[in-house]
Amino acid sequence: MVLRELGRYADLFTGYTELRVQENRTTAVAVVNGDVIGNHRQTVTGVSARAYSGGLWGFASNPDASHDGIRTVVKSATENARFLSGRENRNSGPLPSKPGRVERDFSTGKPRLSRKDIIGFVRSVDRMITAGFSGVASRTVSLQCLDMEKSLITSDGSSSFTMIPRTILYVSLTTDSGGEPVELRDVFGGLGQFEDVFEKPEDLAERLEQLREHLMRKAEGIHPETGERDCILDADLAGILAHEAIGHTTEADIVRGGSVAGDFLGKQVASPLITLVDFANEARGQTCPVPVFMDDEGILAEDAVIIENGVLKRFLHNRESALHFNATPRGNARAFNFDDEPIIRMRNTAILPGTGRLDEMIGSIDEGYYLMKPSNGQADSTSEFMFGVVQGYEIKNGRLGRAIRDTTISGVAFDMLRTVTDVSDDMKWSCAGMCGKKQPIPVGMGGPALKCRISMGGR
Amino acid sequence: MKTGREIGKHSLDAMRKAGLEKCECRVRFTRKDELNVDGGRFSLLRSTDDVNLFLSGIVDGKRGTLSINGTDADSIDEAAGTVMEMACSSETDSANDISPKQPPRSLEKGPDSPNLNLMYSRMQDFIDYSGTNHPSLILEQLILDFTNTRTFYMNSNGVDLASRTGRYTFFPMFTSKEGTDTSSFNYTGVSSLNLEENLHELGNLRSLMKQSTEQVRSRQFNGKFIGDVIITPDCLEDFLSIICMYLSDYHLIKGTSIFKDSLGEPVASRLLTLHSMPLSDELASGYHITSDGFAAENSTIIGKGVLNSFLLSLYGANKTGHTRSLNNGGALVIEPGDSSLAELIGSVEKGVLLCRFSGGMPSESGDFSGVAKNSYTIEKGKIGFPAREIMISGNIRDMLMNISGVSKERVNSGGWLLPWIVAGGLSVFGK
Repeated sequence: MVLRELGRYADLFTGYTELRVQENRTTAVAVVNGDVIGNHRQTVTGVSARAYSGGLWGFASNPDASHDGIRTVVKSATENARFLSGRENRNSGPLPSKPGRVERDFSTGKPRLSRKDIIGFVRSVDRMITAGFSGVASRTVSLQCLDMEKSLITSDGSSSFTMIPRTILYVSLTTDSGGEPVELRDVFGGLGQFEDVFEKPEDLAERLEQLREHLMRKAEGIHPETGERDCILDADLAGILAHEAIGHTTEADIVRGGSVAGDFLGKQVASPLITLVDFANEARGQTCPVPVFMDDEGILAEDAVIIENGVLKRFLHNRESALHFNATPRGNARAFNFDDEPIIRMRNTAILPGTGRLDEMIGSIDEGYYLMKPSNGQADSTSEFMFGVVQGYEIKNGRLGRAIRDTTISGVAFDMLRTVTDVSDDMKWSCAGMCGKKQPIPVGMGGPALKCRISMGGR
Repeated sequence: MKTGREIGKHSLDAMRKAGLEKCECRVRFTRKDELNVDGGRFSLLRSTDDVNLFLSGIVDGKRGTLSINGTDADSIDEAAGTVMEMACSSETDSANDISPKQPPRSLEKGPDSPNLNLMYSRMQDFIDYSGTNHPSLILEQLILDFTNTRTFYMNSNGVDLASRTGRYTFFPMFTSKEGTDTSSFNYTGVSSLNLEENLHELGNLRSLMKQSTEQVRSRQFNGKFIGDVIITPDCLEDFLSIICMYLSDYHLIKGTSIFKDSLGEPVASRLLTLHSMPLSDELASGYHITSDGFAAENSTIIGKGVLNSFLLSLYGANKTGHTRSLNNGGALVIEPGDSSLAELIGSVEKGVLLCRFSGGMPSESGDFSGVAKNSYTIEKGKIGFPAREIMISGNIRDMLMNISGVSKERVNSGGWLLPWIVAGGLSVFGK
């Protein structure tokens, strides 16, 4: 439990300063082929301060969040800022400010389960696979729980206390296809502590059976044809496209580093069917997978519309980049651990639904692919992207055909999004995203299905 | 409690008192001083102190593990009780164990504190070098840190190991831009014990920066062929990480590793000898203590194409019946070949110089595909043009067997020492 009231330390600040006390608590259980090979808990707690002097930042952190520890990190952060500003002072002007007060706690109100109960749940899921599924040669069931609890004050008057938990269960099944292992996985869970996310193992039965069916079809599947093809990207792939290929190029630090998006503000960069939003905490009346109410610079969080009807509308900012671009910060400065400084991050990035129907979109393709689940994804400053695809089907004459084996899709996102000719009327969130950019950070990614042309990698 | 040994001793006593039969602990103190440049200008000086206390205990063959970063007596006593509760909640597994009695060992490498003024001036020199020699190159982010780590490992079998390492690490990330033409970003990571050299002289950085400015004018690659790919040392390290993943606990315990039946068998061309050398004096990085509580030793993973060793922990070894690895992998070194890089390039009729690979996670069967980034075509023995939207696919196992050349020249990043290699039979295709 972190210290909630930090206001009494504000008199230590000599210029613009942030003070944060944070505790990240993780629980991990891994069961491989019935054996508990991982049974771990971790608590990382401490205090950090970041001070601004002459246009430069100093940061310091310490696991000792006592009165003396807090005084020490504020002093060290201030000295670090002065080390730099003493060498090159900049007259950068005051940072934008949007102070407020936030208290949001997503802790469960239910009695906490014991460790034995939680391991028992994971093992029950594993037993459901062994008892009910034939043809599975190997299986992994692993649970990852993360509670992020933090208190923050800033010298311009913001304060917050938040506890944002996430509980994710990964299931991976492998079958044997002619001596060659073929794998498929699915992800369950999302926002909340274990007790609020999972009730009974049996609740997962239907999706586990679907996973097994897809795996068996994949084992008999084909390697897709290489080259550019008509494709339907299902929601999980649309979400990773929104995050990796577009979202990153519009982060203002990446823009300042040469991102191609820097030349596109106000221009048509995608089909008019595409609207892409980085949601702060609520989307379409529902709490987002990773709700952010105030960022780690003390900015009250708001949604950021990145692309509206195909036109690039804005970049994502922290206070400093907002000052540089004369823009408004919307709460995108986030830090993962207590000893991480806030940097520009996405929160819940999604392409908004359109009016199409998935079955009709598939029916409109004579020859192509329906791509359902990604593995990993990467993109760069040119918006050229690559995503691994682990689940998909060929489309022949408007109907789904054989499953495909693992492949890769690639393209230039700002080109590819111009090829979008239909967007489905539904939308799904992927809740297990962990974005890497100096630090890891949980993110939400979402979208509808998109009909587009995309380059497929084969064997 | 001030010292790692005092914390370790208290932790072992607390776990024994809690009822654990076998127990181990690792205490790690880390101090990092980090200079950041964003958009070509100094932005941040960051100093972090942390301590990580890892506790692991076994009772009735059941294990629980826990990490905290508080080291006061109350926190440790509570943590020891939690480890006991976690172990009791788990399942018996005869593979759970701790390392046996070994001679005490205490090793050090590198300085124990940074020279902040030198860090600042090296960073400023790098900014100046880039601006003078590569005006179109944008320094998106530079991170230069000095990290001092003190590690203590102790267990109930009487093992007592200590280590201290201190080194500078530099992570530059850059893109080149002329007008609206933009290169792909590129990056690397290099380490040094003393910052005696200018930062742009470390690893292959000078070459990567020059290439970045050329890649502003990249061209679309069209066509498809099966041919040779010359993999640069920076890119090779990514492929080696994947190979090491298949040799490690998870894939071998699961029984799905493509190398599970290959110990002692040829898995690569005879031209390839791959070591893991955490104790190498040639490398600035490395480590002295393994995660499973042994004094680390250097090892040969692949010797003249033959798989000599998996990368199994004590648990992984007990679980699979194979021999425990002498280290945790990493610090990878490949023996140099007989040909110069120029000769290797000259030998390729049609191929690609692969400088960075953005690939999907390979399948369990070793199939991979992805996009060649910051890369060049090779035509008739000569480097062609910087190309974009090239996809490359193949199979990890086939790729290793089809290595047809290893360069004499190697790049030392401080974290690895690797040559250029030629891998044949890979599919290359554009739009």
